[in-house]
Amino acid sequence: MNDERTTRLDRMRFTKNKMSANLALLAIIFNVCFFINIYESDVGSWYYTILVGGSILYNLIFMLAAFLSSEGIKNYKIGYSYLMIVLGIIQIVRIFIYPMKAHGAVVTIQEQAVTVMEGGQFIRVVLYLVLSAACLFAGAIVGIIRSRALAGHLATLESKVA
Amino acid sequence: MAELKIQHVDKIYDNNVQAVFDFNLDVKDGELIVLVGPSGCGKSTTLRMIAGLEDISAGHLLLDGKDITQAPAKDRDMAMVFQNYALYGHMTIYENMAFSLTLRKENPNVIHKKVLAAAEILGLTSQLNKKPSQLSGGQRQRVAMGRSIVRNPKVFLFDEPLSNLDAKLRGATRREILLLHKRLKATMLYVTHDQTEALTLADRIVCMSMGHVQQVGTPIELYDAPANKFVASFIGLPPMNFFDVTVREGMLEGKGFTVPLTEEEKGILLPYAGKQIDLGVRPEDVAADGSIDMKVFSNENLGMNTLIHGHIGGSEAVSNKISAKLRGWCDYREGDNVGVSFSRKHFFDKESGNAIRKGESK
Repeated sequence: MNDERTTRLDRMRFTKNKMSANLALLAIIFNVCFFINIYESDVGSWYYTILVGGSILYNLIFMLAAFLSSEGIKNYKIGYSYLMIVLGIIQIVRIFIYPMKAHGAVVTIQEQAVTVMEGGQFIRVVLYLVLSAACLFAGAIVGIIRSRALAGHLATLESKVA
Repeated sequence: MAELKIQHVDKIYDNNVQAVFDFNLDVKDGELIVLVGPSGCGKSTTLRMIAGLEDISAGHLLLDGKDITQAPAKDRDMAMVFQNYALYGHMTIYENMAFSLTLRKENPNVIHKKVLAAAEILGLTSQLNKKPSQLSGGQRQRVAMGRSIVRNPKVFLFDEPLSNLDAKLRGATRREILLLHKRLKATMLYVTHDQTEALTLADRIVCMSMGHVQQVGTPIELYDAPANKFVASFIGLPPMNFFDVTVREGMLEGKGFTVPLTEEEKGILLPYAGKQIDLGVRPEDVAADGSIDMKVFSNENLGMNTLIHGHIGGSEAVSNKISAKLRGWCDYREGDNVGVSFSRKHFFDKESGNAIRKGESK
């Protein structure tokens, strides 16, 4: 059993952390689903249009950062795991920035009352953000565990050589 | 345990071109067989038929007594190393070596151990995280070999694996293959057109020409006792000299020269008295201490030896051309006359080209 664990650790010297990397990419996909859905709430109110615009800008930054994390974590760079945790937290915070404000809010457009975000859209948007955050957390945790395990294994190997 | 029997194998392509004629060979367990011959002689086709990459038109292929003539390549338990390495450029060396086992869904830990063991054998441990493009040709060929080793096949097949390497690297990689064979004690079939590779690597050589097996034997058998003129001319560097001669009483008579015969040679050539034969003399069997006149036209110093080229018998006919490999550093000039003798002679039947040997009558 112990030998099996050592072999598993040793394997990491030559294999990539594909699970964490793929989870980061999945987080990006859920984020894309989120921003496709959020456009439906651009009903013409300048306040919510600005919020949607801000969200789009952040989406670009998020996708870039998540993709970089995906590449970094693939090579067991622990710093990118922490970056993924930060990105995950921001995804949760985003629920309170736009969807919570827009959900059920009514604005008057051309003398007509319009609901900014209906219940169904709200559930979808929140679900995508939660799933995106969950992927980032899971990927980060796997990344931290594996990176630490690999670092420990490499230290053991080095001490054996010394 | 891996014994391969190739019985009466033919290869006929769809356009009715026959590439291989009645190929027969018994490969013993742990033997390294080299198939050698000029380009287009059918050696690679034979190897590809054994690997299952080409259909066998006729005959049988048996591995450990089991008929695998119709078995698909993947079920033959053989691994092939190609001339062009056939590595996946986007994968690391580790992934390349592990690939075939990954496809078979073997336990990743088992794969890991096999890859590390193969890398250790081939001296590739420090290269495992690199991509093929970061390695030299010799290293890439070692990776290709490693990919075969991890599969632990019954038979290794090498199709001109050193042809893409420069001369120095070829020598080094050749020695590695030899060491690998000694270490793994595996059955190997190796195709090459380079007779140096054949002589240095083989337990036995199969010399081929025009789809026919010309001779099967140990390297020394092919060198010392070639079965026919083709084998005699193909094995040995520089190639054997051939002269048209007539068998006379106690000697051979050529164009402007005579060669005395020993008692044993007289006995061998008795049935050929008065007839024309081909006399073969290896350049290294020519000594500069005889009575046959040789007019030098070029002198190549190779360091330990000197290669001189010229004509014998005062005739500049092509059939009187001779190359001699003399020991030491010599400085002959164009037009110099040297008296040469032949320490060893080979005789070939003029019509069939077959070697004339003791106890064989015409």
